[in-house]
Amino acid sequence: MPDVSKMKKPDVKVVLLGDMNVGKTSLLHRYMDRKFKETISTIGGAFFLKQWGPYNISIWDTAGREQFHGLGSMYCRGAAAVILTYDVTNWQSLAELEERFLSLTDTALQDCIYALVGNKADLTDQQAQLAQDPDGQPQDQTESRDRTDTLLSACPTPPDSPASLSGVHKQVTREDAVALYGRILHYKGLDEKSSLPADKMCFETSAKTGFNVDAMFETLFDLVLPSILRKRNENQRSPTVDLEEYREVGSKRSRSGCC
Amino acid sequence: MSVKAFELVPAVERDLLMGDKARINIECIECCGKHLYVGTNDCFIHHFLLDEATSSKGKLIYSSQKLLHKYLGLKKPVTELRAASALERLIVLCDGIVFLVDMVTLETVPSAAGGGAKIRGVTAFCINENPVNGDPFCVEMAVLSSKRRTVQIYMVYEDRVQLAKEVSTPEQPCAVSVDGYFLCLALATQYMILNYNTGASQDLFPYNSEERRPIVKRISREEFLLAAPGGLGMFANAEGVSQRAPVNWSESVIGAAVCFPYVVALDESFITIHSMLDQQLKQTLSFRDGHILQDFEGKVILASTKAVYVLVPLPLERQIQDLLASHRVEEALILTEGAQRNIPKDKFQILHKRILQQAGFIQFGQLQFLEAKEHFRKGQLDVRELISLYPLLLPASSSFTRCHPPLHEFADLNHLAQGDQEKVLRCKKFLISYLGEVRSTEVVNGCREDVDTALLKLYAEQNHESLLDLLASENSCVLADSVPWLEKYHKYFALGLLYHSNGQDSAALQLWIRVVDGDLQDSTRSDLYEYIVDFLCTSSNLDLVWKYADWALLKDPTVGIHVFTRRPASKDQPELNPDDVITYLGKHSRALLLYLEHLVLERRIQKEKFHTHLAVLYLERVLSLLSELPANEEQLTKARERLQAMLRESDLYRVQFLLVKTENCEQLLLERATLHGKLEEHDKALHILVHQLRDFPSAEAFCIWASSCRDSAYRQRLFHLLLGVYLDGSVPGSAPSAAGSNGGEMEMAAVDLLNRHGEVFDAVRVLEMLPEGWSLQLLKPFLGRAVRASMHACRTSQIAVGLAHSENLQLLHDRLKERKKPILISEKKGCHLCHNTFSEPSVVCLPGGVPVHTHCVAQRARDSPTKRQLTNSSNHT
Repeated sequence: MPDVSKMKKPDVKVVLLGDMNVGKTSLLHRYMDRKFKETISTIGGAFFLKQWGPYNISIWDTAGREQFHGLGSMYCRGAAAVILTYDVTNWQSLAELEERFLSLTDTALQDCIYALVGNKADLTDQQAQLAQDPDGQPQDQTESRDRTDTLLSACPTPPDSPASLSGVHKQVTREDAVALYGRILHYKGLDEKSSLPADKMCFETSAKTGFNVDAMFETLFDLVLPSILRKRNENQRSPTVDLEEYREVGSKRSRSGCC
Repeated sequence: MSVKAFELVPAVERDLLMGDKARINIECIECCGKHLYVGTNDCFIHHFLLDEATSSKGKLIYSSQKLLHKYLGLKKPVTELRAASALERLIVLCDGIVFLVDMVTLETVPSAAGGGAKIRGVTAFCINENPVNGDPFCVEMAVLSSKRRTVQIYMVYEDRVQLAKEVSTPEQPCAVSVDGYFLCLALATQYMILNYNTGASQDLFPYNSEERRPIVKRISREEFLLAAPGGLGMFANAEGVSQRAPVNWSESVIGAAVCFPYVVALDESFITIHSMLDQQLKQTLSFRDGHILQDFEGKVILASTKAVYVLVPLPLERQIQDLLASHRVEEALILTEGAQRNIPKDKFQILHKRILQQAGFIQFGQLQFLEAKEHFRKGQLDVRELISLYPLLLPASSSFTRCHPPLHEFADLNHLAQGDQEKVLRCKKFLISYLGEVRSTEVVNGCREDVDTALLKLYAEQNHESLLDLLASENSCVLADSVPWLEKYHKYFALGLLYHSNGQDSAALQLWIRVVDGDLQDSTRSDLYEYIVDFLCTSSNLDLVWKYADWALLKDPTVGIHVFTRRPASKDQPELNPDDVITYLGKHSRALLLYLEHLVLERRIQKEKFHTHLAVLYLERVLSLLSELPANEEQLTKARERLQAMLRESDLYRVQFLLVKTENCEQLLLERATLHGKLEEHDKALHILVHQLRDFPSAEAFCIWASSCRDSAYRQRLFHLLLGVYLDGSVPGSAPSAAGSNGGEMEMAAVDLLNRHGEVFDAVRVLEMLPEGWSLQLLKPFLGRAVRASMHACRTSQIAVGLAHSENLQLLHDRLKERKKPILISEKKGCHLCHNTFSEPSVVCLPGGVPVHTHCVAQRARDSPTKRQLTNSSNHT
């Protein structure tokens, strides 16, 4: 069903960045449609509008393919939050974030917030295998996970230790992500103490089971609210003459003049 | 895919342009109203008049008429043509030179005295469609120069061009588009936005202009469409932000335009059409040798190297219908909603509603009821459209006809379900829930009858529990239509309810009675008989009550009588006259008794007639039980208890009448005693009790009962009477019937009476009455109590006297205290009676403390006819 909100102007922008095949589109599908479905490689980009309280948040799903890399900084322009996504079973996907995607975020807002999201946690983490979708139906366990094959071939260094779960080894630990988060702050020239803490901004999710997906998006939405409010305030200070406001100013003046 | 959004219509055929000259190609086109200009590679401009017409099949066709062609004399291809209609000029780019030609004559405009009308070294130019200069006779133009890394802004006038601004760019620009102050540029390696007023620039994204031909296309205010790497069509606004998701073109796109809500792009062999609403490819048209794709005032025109075509958008409604026809509901709705701003509001609403309804029916056909319902609701569907799918559900009286053109392709439910009974059932269940939801909303205004009748039929057919709820609440079911349906499914109870709500209570009752009597089968209510009784009980139609009460009473008098006894007392209910009821109940003796009990015992109607009647009935019952042999003791006891209670408690029945009736019955002595008591013939009553029945406790109880509402003197009199009877009976010889032993018995009764009820008696009189010979011991309790009571009374009264006396003293004291304020007398004060001043201290105070002369008071007391007493006179100084 097309949302009426599609016609509305977004108040704030959130961008999903990350290497191809880490599950950016699947994360968005899980969150927006409450489903996990097969997706094809995103071409160019796509966006969704999410009504968050009185605000419209546009969430941009970008293409991870190298080919579309150049468009990244344009998507990030004016973003209030960037979700840097990697695949917990693929070390390279985390490395790519730092090498390739971090520089794209230069066009984001000054106070843009960054989240590090390790997807496909269901492959490595028992806990993430449990469906966490409160309003969804029980997950179809028979659904095959075709991803595994493509993943193994895409992985530059196949796991050398015995497979832990579903035959896939966890290559990126939470500590790795936390360390990268620190480097991101450093890259942005942000003080670690005044920024959002790493343990709050690093997530491990599973678009397949829904593990941590809502929590991740919603934590982020709550964090961008100040950005929305500030943007609204800025708009109010536009050169357009607001008659209401003017009257208020006028009355203030007359009051001060008379005393 | 496969929306038919556009049709390609030929506009200018090859033979009109170059005939069979193979080398001549179209280089550029311009369209301005009906005027079409075509520039060719042999340096000609052709001017056509493009006429639009509608073919007999309703299709748009174009016919072109060549007006003029003109050789520009430069032997080079005409690269670009732009019309400035306000100036009646064509801006021409040919051989790197921009110059003006007259739109009509195609003659080159000579330079004006003040300035040149030519710009040299130009690679590309564009017109600002959102000009910043307010002059309507001036066209703003951005020009790319072949040598310098600059963009020049020119003002184009009728006969001259004037440089207004020049901004440099970081690289050589190769394509430009302008909107307001914003230049959107394709540089050698990237796209950028440049504000030529402030010089502020914004990089967009990298792009290799040598690999692919860049596209910068202004599509709306401050928004551009750009060819991006990977064959994307990217949107970017003046701030360098993408507000729409990109569309996926092929790598070799030559030209693109927006014809809302579609992005049209041309590559070497196809025209692709993407929706801006969902970014999906909607249509592909094959187009060989495509060369140019441009939109002019909303009209998309294409050219191959040899001919010109117009891409005609099909009417939106047709596109939507095509989508719906292929069951692509979501796309149809996206398209409809996306077109909202292009359609007048009222027209849009009608269209939108219709599309929603159609979408709902498509989903209904696919048994996607949740979605269907949502669309029906949003589309404010006339519910009857849906009902009419179900055969026979709409009442025959309904004036409904399906809307035209039809909202769906189904003849009816059977057609839809193709004989699948499970599908039919699911559809029916859906309709039940849907109608149930909407019937209380305004959606059903004007067709309430149709909806309720349909719902009733479905409920009956599906044996649904809500059938009764529907009928019991306010409803608009059409009776004529519902009757056969309910009969068919044996819903007689429900049918009765329907009759009732249609004011046909008689029909309802007849039907229900037949069910209760077993003529008809309907197990809806096992307590239907009680229901009928209740129904009659609350019915305001008395004729009905009279008519059917008989049946109810015959069935079960105890329950049936509720018809009369449980009528709620309210103002709108007509009252039944009890006399009429009693007459009516004549032959139902059991019911009559119950009714009289109701009147007398429950409603406490104080009417002699009812009381007597009831008492007589009780009596008759007792008599009849007495006459039975063997006697049913239990029943008899009960019946007698009732009779006795009645006789005792009612004061209204005719005592004499009953007394006569009991006269001959020796077994009803107790009752007769009561009756005598009622007549205040206490001696007779006591005589019966003491001598005939020898029932002393009853005699005592009689005394208490008979004096229960009287003063103590009355009670005393009765007890003395009883005592007298006992004492008389105890004297041998005075009661001839009594034997000697009886005398002793009486004596004992008398002693017991005294000892038990000593407080009632006047001890002095008792002592006088008692035989001399009785022992003191025997009467000790009585006497003891009598003495104590007497002492008690004496002391109590003494205390009372004492208390009254002290109270009196207290009051006196209080009064004096209140009055004891000093009363001042001086020689200047006057007496209130004679108005002379006081001369001596001795005065009299009148009530209220007014001092007067003693002689004046005496005088007044003498004169006063009432001889007023001045009690509280006192002297003060």
